Amino acid sequence: MQSAPVDDSRTVIEAVDLVKHYTASDGGGVRAVEGVSLAVAAGEMVGLLGANGAGKTTTLRMLATLLRPTSGSASIAGCDSQRDPVGVRRRLGYLSATTGVPDRLTPREIFASFATLHGLDAAERDDRIARLVTALDLGSCADRPAGRLSSGQRQRVSLGRALVHDPPAIILDEPTSALDVVGARDLLALLADLRAQGSAILISTHRLHEIEHRCDRFVILHAGRVVAKGTRAELLAAWLGGRNGELEEAFFAAIEGRRLADGVPS
Amino acid sequence: MNAAQGSSRLQAVLAIARRDLLEFVRDRRTLFITLLLPMATYPIMALSTALGLRAASSEIEAQQAPTKIAVVLSGEDAPALATRLAELDRTRTGHDRDGWPAKIEMAVVPPPEARALIDRGDADLWVEVESGFIRALDATATVVLPVSLPAGRPTERRVREQFESVAKSLAQDVRQRRIARAGLPASVLAPLDVVFKDENRLPHPPRSILSTLAGGVLVLLAVLTLTGAFYPAIDAIAGEKERGTIETLLIAPCSVQDIVHGKFLAVFAVTLATLVVNVLSIAATAAVSKRFLPGSISMTLPDGAAAALIVTVLAFTGLAALAAATCLAVTTASKTGKEAQNTLTPVILLVSALAGAAILPGMRADSALAALPFAGQVVVARSMFAGGEAGPDALPEIAGPLALTLVAAGLLTWLLLRATATLLADEDTLFRGPDTATGAFARPGYRPLPSMLQGVAPIVLGLAALWYVQGFSPDDLALAIPLQQAAAVLAPLALVAWWQRVDLRQTFAIAWPGPSTRHGRVWPVTTALTGAALCGAGVFVLGAAALLAARGTGFSEEARHLTERLISLMRDRPTGLAWCLIALVPAVCEELLFRGWTLSAFAGAPRSPARTAWAVIAQAACFAIFHLLPERMPQTFLLGAVLGWMTVVSGSLLPAMVAHLAHNSMAILLVSLAGGLSGLPPSGKTDDAVALVGIPPWAVVAAVGAVILGALLLWSSRRRDGSE
Repeated sequence: MQSAPVDDSRTVIEAVDLVKHYTASDGGGVRAVEGVSLAVAAGEMVGLLGANGAGKTTTLRMLATLLRPTSGSASIAGCDSQRDPVGVRRRLGYLSATTGVPDRLTPREIFASFATLHGLDAAERDDRIARLVTALDLGSCADRPAGRLSSGQRQRVSLGRALVHDPPAIILDEPTSALDVVGARDLLALLADLRAQGSAILISTHRLHEIEHRCDRFVILHAGRVVAKGTRAELLAAWLGGRNGELEEAFFAAIEGRRLADGVPS
Repeated sequence: MNAAQGSSRLQAVLAIARRDLLEFVRDRRTLFITLLLPMATYPIMALSTALGLRAASSEIEAQQAPTKIAVVLSGEDAPALATRLAELDRTRTGHDRDGWPAKIEMAVVPPPEARALIDRGDADLWVEVESGFIRALDATATVVLPVSLPAGRPTERRVREQFESVAKSLAQDVRQRRIARAGLPASVLAPLDVVFKDENRLPHPPRSILSTLAGGVLVLLAVLTLTGAFYPAIDAIAGEKERGTIETLLIAPCSVQDIVHGKFLAVFAVTLATLVVNVLSIAATAAVSKRFLPGSISMTLPDGAAAALIVTVLAFTGLAALAAATCLAVTTASKTGKEAQNTLTPVILLVSALAGAAILPGMRADSALAALPFAGQVVVARSMFAGGEAGPDALPEIAGPLALTLVAAGLLTWLLLRATATLLADEDTLFRGPDTATGAFARPGYRPLPSMLQGVAPIVLGLAALWYVQGFSPDDLALAIPLQQAAAVLAPLALVAWWQRVDLRQTFAIAWPGPSTRHGRVWPVTTALTGAALCGAGVFVLGAAALLAARGTGFSEEARHLTERLISLMRDRPTGLAWCLIALVPAVCEELLFRGWTLSAFAGAPRSPARTAWAVIAQAACFAIFHLLPERMPQTFLLGAVLGWMTVVSGSLLPAMVAHLAHNSMAILLVSLAGGLSGLPPSGKTDDAVALVGIPPWAVVAAVGAVILGALLLWSSRRRDGSE
């Protein structure tokens, strides 16, 4: 996978020095995110990697206006997440593993309600829903209550809900964790299409092998900080001393802070 | 790309409402609560009531129905009495026979046979007529007539009552004979005859039990309407969290308020539908139940049924809105539907109790009660069914209370929705914190200052404690004051402060007043505390003068009683102890609570001038309410506001304590000046005591001067580091 050069003028998703501290229920302070910066350009797919508790979800939620940053800034397609949160939400499709679907509504009704929330008029809405149903292969179940769909179908409905307004930026937080191998493959194929159409995609996942060859670049988080970023080749070069290996090895090296140039930790 | 397009706020609210409503109506639980429950409840209730009434009424009628009684008489004068009774039976007609048996069967038999008859139960009564009975009747004596009842079976009460009627008639007959023999007219025994002239103008209508039932039915209506909001509210937010769909709404291009308003609209619509179905079911049940009710009882509405119905529906529309908002607010903190159910159930019970309290005696619509949530609506609606005054004529009278109840419900709904929006957007509630709503019962983490709710908590606990303490509180204030201060002020404060760990120094403004200067602290501290003492003393004099001017000596019973007890405390105890109890203890305890804990909680941090002003006013209002006596509330409010202002200006609790101390000390000082404690009248003469404590004009002028001077001193020594 070759690296697409990052062109600032095309940056769609951007985080600058994002910090998030909060008070835990036991009264202790938690430093979830400590100065994370990243950028995703149009037509680019970036993987956000990290162990549990590394700060991935918190970072993505700050980008999606669900959490207020303690400091730093986040923007989507030029809209600042704190000054214009509604503007950000109009330009962003967001989906997480925990995102569900209303059980008693049909996929068509779900799409329609969010299309209305995004201000699409009736004609646009119908057209968009028809295209989504086709693209997401929901033709057979578009009018069945979502509660009766399979988990793969439901996740596709969720994705459709996130894409109903045709957003320039897409953020996905472990979207494949509830899916089987086939479901995950289909979803990632769909994302590849979206990227080809010019969407900026930021995706976090635990399953490195799934996105290893699909993302243009990666950002590795550890304990709330960016410990490494770059293309797959760059990461392998930096952390495995150019040795040909799996991204996973570079990931472990990065979060454990040992550079394996010439096999000797530095 | 059309991503930059947006929907209008109204469009967003409606889209969310529509989406939620679709979900609700596809939930069978909602349909059950909204449609089936009311349709089943009222008929069942009416049927059981009607059948019960019918049974009771036929039992009463049977009891009162004339019957045949079998009387056996024995004794020498038995035949003569039998003749007299038979003659009475023959001559009595019409109303004179009220309570009489349909037929009296009499047999004169010898005593042994009579006993056998009565023992076998073949006769209802055995009357033993002694010899000389008739002669004694015709004389002027009181004659005893022994009557035996069957031993084998219980005598029916009506046999006894009906025989008593016969005996009364006999006595009346004897009375008239005696009067006639004495040469007096019969009218001597009937000095008054009341005649209802219009008695036959209107037919006697069957008694409507609707006004009696209205209270209970309205409470049931309130509870069922409330239940209509139960499942939709749980589904609307906790359900969305459980399904993981709340995030999708929160990243939709609309504000949290829009989301909450949309959800409220949907829940309100279901609640309103529940109300309408309930009302229809009640109306239909009332119409149908006519068939089951006994003839003497009707369930028809009084005149102006339409007006009563309209007022009920209008008042209950407010209740429905309030129910929807309350349920939404309560379930917002829950993360799952089950958890929300657990949280909401006690709230529903509590609110049902509130609605039930509305039918207590003395709850009238023409008072501030109409503004009470859940009770006010029932009170207003019920007044339309109370007896015969209902109808179009009652409409202008009810318009005020109806408007009040609607405005109050609207206002409270709005506040609840604001709270819901704040809670929904709260990151801790949404993503972190304890995983259950029982988290509300888990000890919260440290925060620098208490939250607003925690600011009010010790006051509510304190008022509850006061309620209990007043049951045990001794009349002697030397014991009562420490008990009340400990139970109602210190203990709740300590409990809440233990529960919520805070920065004690910041919360209780533990600092020296005034700025630190090159010359040390002594001068600014002295200035501030002198100013505070002057202000406190002045405010007391002004407050007392205003109170005396406004009320003279016309105080409420409670106020008189308190004054009496205060004076006897000052008279009977050493002055030092009285001063400690009346001035020192309250000054320290109440300042810690109101100007320390509550003011900090209300003012929050960082402080803005508007919020600080609001906090000073709000804590003063709490302070006034806490003192319970309505006539003292303006004075206590003023004092609370002044003390709050001092704390804010000086950044220290000390001036408020000193001012409060000076304020309360003035009571003792003034009483001493006005004639010395020894010169006080014995207890029970409060009027004299109050008159003794009259405020001369010069004292008022001096008090105004003291307040102004004190305020200036305080202001001159204020903190200038922007902490106010």
